[in-house]
Amino acid sequence: MVSLLKTTIDVFGDSKVCRFAFISCLYSCLLFFTSSFSLENLCAQDNSECLECHTDPAEVDVKVRIDHVTGEVEIVSMLVDADAYHASAHGGEDFYCIDCHADLEGSEGEHYPNLQPVDCITFCHDDPAETFLEGSHANLMREKGVALPTCKHCHAGEKSKRDTPRADNLYHRMDTIEKCGGCHTKYYHSYRNNLHGQVTAMGHVGTDIATCVDCHGQHTILNSSDPESTLGPENAKETCGKCHPGASDSFIKHVAHPQYKNLGYYKSAIVALLNIRKDPGQVKSIIKSPQIILTILFVMYVGILVITFAQFGTHMLLSWLGTLLDERKGKESEHDK
Amino acid sequence: MTSNNTILRFGLFHRFGHFLIIISFFGLVLTGMPLVFKEYAWARFLYNLMGGYPTAGNIHRICALITFLAAFLHFAFLTFETLVRKNRNIFWGPESLLIQPKDILNILGDVLWFFRLGKRPQFDRYIYWEKFEYLSLMWGTMVMGVTGFILWFPVQSASLIPAYVATFIDLPSIALVAHRYEALLAAGFIFSIHFLHTHLLPENIPVDEAMFTGRIDEGHMKHERGAYYERLKEEGQLEELKVQPASRKAKFVSKMMGLPLLAVGLLMVGFMLSSLICSIIFVLADLTKNINFDIFSVFAF
Repeated sequence: MVSLLKTTIDVFGDSKVCRFAFISCLYSCLLFFTSSFSLENLCAQDNSECLECHTDPAEVDVKVRIDHVTGEVEIVSMLVDADAYHASAHGGEDFYCIDCHADLEGSEGEHYPNLQPVDCITFCHDDPAETFLEGSHANLMREKGVALPTCKHCHAGEKSKRDTPRADNLYHRMDTIEKCGGCHTKYYHSYRNNLHGQVTAMGHVGTDIATCVDCHGQHTILNSSDPESTLGPENAKETCGKCHPGASDSFIKHVAHPQYKNLGYYKSAIVALLNIRKDPGQVKSIIKSPQIILTILFVMYVGILVITFAQFGTHMLLSWLGTLLDERKGKESEHDK
Repeated sequence: MTSNNTILRFGLFHRFGHFLIIISFFGLVLTGMPLVFKEYAWARFLYNLMGGYPTAGNIHRICALITFLAAFLHFAFLTFETLVRKNRNIFWGPESLLIQPKDILNILGDVLWFFRLGKRPQFDRYIYWEKFEYLSLMWGTMVMGVTGFILWFPVQSASLIPAYVATFIDLPSIALVAHRYEALLAAGFIFSIHFLHTHLLPENIPVDEAMFTGRIDEGHMKHERGAYYERLKEEGQLEELKVQPASRKAKFVSKMMGLPLLAVGLLMVGFMLSSLICSIIFVLADLTKNINFDIFSVFAF
């Protein structure tokens, strides 16, 4: 112990080492001061204060959260993945935890457990919220008594709801298809039958392939029969033209949701045929729609496939059997000689 | 004179054409078929193996162009033979690939043979199922080419028809349906029926090398295509067609090329068939979902 002390004194006795230690000390002090005196940190609490505890598994735990709209109960980890947060839409330089968790402003150290739900709308996102809440989609949901989703329902991050994804985030685009499809199952399946849906099903959801929101709009979701909607006769050329430059009047008539694999379509066609005397309009509207050609083609191809494989499969098996039997016969006759 | 009993069955031109078709067909199926079976994990794996979204599509288009090259070469050959060489055998007669009256008799004879009611008929240069395969390839290439071009240039092809017709006839959607199910038909046919008919027959297993080396054994030919052999002998063409037997190297190369392709094709057809069965079970489950039939109700009385 004494010898160790002696050697340290010896080393510090050397003037060069002493000078180096002094300069490095000064330099680090300078760095520390410049960083702590930057402009933003004077006005707001630093995120690093929050992240100090919220990235340490020993300090924070899981919490039971009850969604105040849907009543859904979930167990949420209070740990923050700093990288995922910084990659999210709110992870930029000028965002602070207390911007959204405003009830924590001015508090220091440990805070009370149950914070107020974050209000996305009042101060920041009043525009999209208004267009969504007053759009026909939300009105229809109110009429039908379906609970309206909150912002966080759709804009949830991959691992935690807190990591609000950016609009072109790949996970978000994939998640949107599933979330729209969760209610609109019929349209989800027919979308998957179309080329856009096939490619997104392969796991490619870049902005070069259309998902639900690319055609139907993001917050102002109107029924496609509404002339004001993104797929109305006036707007459709522009909407399709985002990816297909030069989209013409006949191009926008594309059947994006083919029904030929939907059992309900066949059922309704049969019902319409049975009611042909009472209500011939039903059959007429089915015949007039472009779906009928696709359906006929599909049924025709299924027929061709079944007939071809049944016929050639039997032919195959029989000729195999015949050849084997002939070979055995040939061997026997050779044996007789 | 050395005893030479190897006969040239396919010339270099036809072997080259077949080689082009093999390459392009496998490229097309491997990049296109995953999109049909999009719900299944193997499809997603295969699609990403082929390079994912833009790459797999580009491979598909390059392979399509190779197919067009092969089709162009084939039709150029047909025109050359009919117009320059005045060869009428292409459209009529025993050398033709079109269905002839004798083929109907051969089919009937084969049906009788299946049920052990007679001997197998003697076939000529092309057997009737080979003619069906050829004709379906021609039809399939035409459908796939036209619909593929519509899908490649959807905006331009949709503009070909006026807007009021487009409300009833939507070209890109029709093209997609036709392209998808014609592809299922073609891939399923080639990978099961064509493979089983030519390569996996008891006498040819594992690979029929005739299309790769172009040569066929005299005894094998006599057994497989008796009428052709007799006809060649009568016309005295047999000696002209006799060539040196294929070298061991050529046989080895053709086996090394044929076997992996065969394996990939059979694997694909296995995946496709199992997925199809799964899909059909799902549809049946969906159909019977609303039927509350309790099997144990029979014990209730």
